[in-house]
Amino acid sequence: MASQLFPQALHMIPINQVKSFNPVKNLGFSAFLSRGPSPLTASKVSVSGTHLKFHFGSDLGCFARRDFIVRAESNPEAEANENGVEEPETKAEAEVEAGEGGEDEVEEEKPKEPYKPRVKLGDIMGILNKRAIEASDKERPTPDLRAGDIVEIKLEVPENKRRLSVYKGIVISKQNAGIHTTIRIRRIIAGIGVEIVFPVYSPNIKEIKVVKHRKVRRARLYYLRDKLPRLSTFK
Amino acid sequence: MIQPQTHLNVADNSGARELMCIRVIGASNRRYAHIGDVIVAVIKEAVPNTPLERSEVIRAVIVRTSKELKRDNGMIIRYDDNAAVVIDQEGNPKGTRIFGAIARELRQLNFTKIVSLAPEVL
Repeated sequence: MASQLFPQALHMIPINQVKSFNPVKNLGFSAFLSRGPSPLTASKVSVSGTHLKFHFGSDLGCFARRDFIVRAESNPEAEANENGVEEPETKAEAEVEAGEGGEDEVEEEKPKEPYKPRVKLGDIMGILNKRAIEASDKERPTPDLRAGDIVEIKLEVPENKRRLSVYKGIVISKQNAGIHTTIRIRRIIAGIGVEIVFPVYSPNIKEIKVVKHRKVRRARLYYLRDKLPRLSTFK
Repeated sequence: MIQPQTHLNVADNSGARELMCIRVIGASNRRYAHIGDVIVAVIKEAVPNTPLERSEVIRAVIVRTSKELKRDNGMIIRYDDNAAVVIDQEGNPKGTRIFGAIARELRQLNFTKIVSLAPEVL
C-alpha cells in the first residue's frame, strides 16, 4: 500500500524536494492533518499543501534513496499512534524498496493513485442499503410516506397477471430498515378491519400514491384498532 | 393461532354465529391452526330456524386470524378477528355466501369455492 507509505514518508523529505509533490497526494496530507500531525511534520505539511503543480521529476527518484528509508523507520515511533496499521506497512514497504534499490518507475506510478477514503466495517450495511434503495428508486420512484397518509398501492400479483391489485388505506406505521422499509396499511374491508404490511421498495409494488393526509400526532396509530370502524373506512 | 377453546366468528350464512374450536386437524398433538387449516368445532351460538343448531359438532376452515399471515414477497396480513367457514367432509362450504375478505392462500389449499364466493380476495 504505497499510497499509505507515501503520506508518511513524504513528510520526511527535506523541504527543497517538497515542490515536486503530486497534487493528488495532497489528499493524503489533508487526511493526515485531520488526524493531527506531529509537530515534526506540521510545517512541511502546510508548505506542500499549497503546491498544485504536478511533476514527475527525477526528484521523485530520491524516494528510492536509502536516506529516507532510515527516516521512515525512525519516524513512526515519534508519531503518536497515527495509524497502527500503517506503521508495520511502512516498515515492510521500506524493506521492499531498499531491496529494489532505486526503481524509479515504481515510485513514479504510485503517487498517481488517488487516495481512496477508507470504508469502515460499520458503514458497509448503510452503503449497501443506500445502493439498493437507489436501484429501486430508478425503476419506480417512492414518495415520502408518513403515518397518517392515506395511500393507494398497486401490487402485481402472479395469479392476476392482467390487472393490478389495489390496496387503499391509512398508513398506521412505518418501520425504517433500509431496503426492507415497511409500511402498515389499515382499512375496513367488507366489514372487517384488515392491516397489511408492505415492503416499500418491493419490485412487486408497481405504484404508491398518497391520496390524502390526515393530521395525526403520533408515529404509530395503533389506537385506530379500538376506535370506531368509521375512522378506518376509505372508499 | 387457533387452539381448542378458541371462539371464532362465522364468516358465512350457514346458520352458525359463533364456534368454539375443539380440535386442530392435522398431525397428532398439533398445537395451533392458522389460515387455511381445518378444525373441528362446536356451535356455541346459532341463528334460529336454520339447519345448524347449537352444540352441534362440525368442521370448519379458518379464514381470518388475528395472528399475522406472512407471505414470501414480504407482505403480512392481519385481520381484526378470528373467523371460520363451516365446511362438510369434502371441503365444500355449507353456506352460500361468504362475508369478509379472504386471503389468496385458500385457493392453493383447494378451497376454490370459498375463494370464488368471497367479496374480496387479498
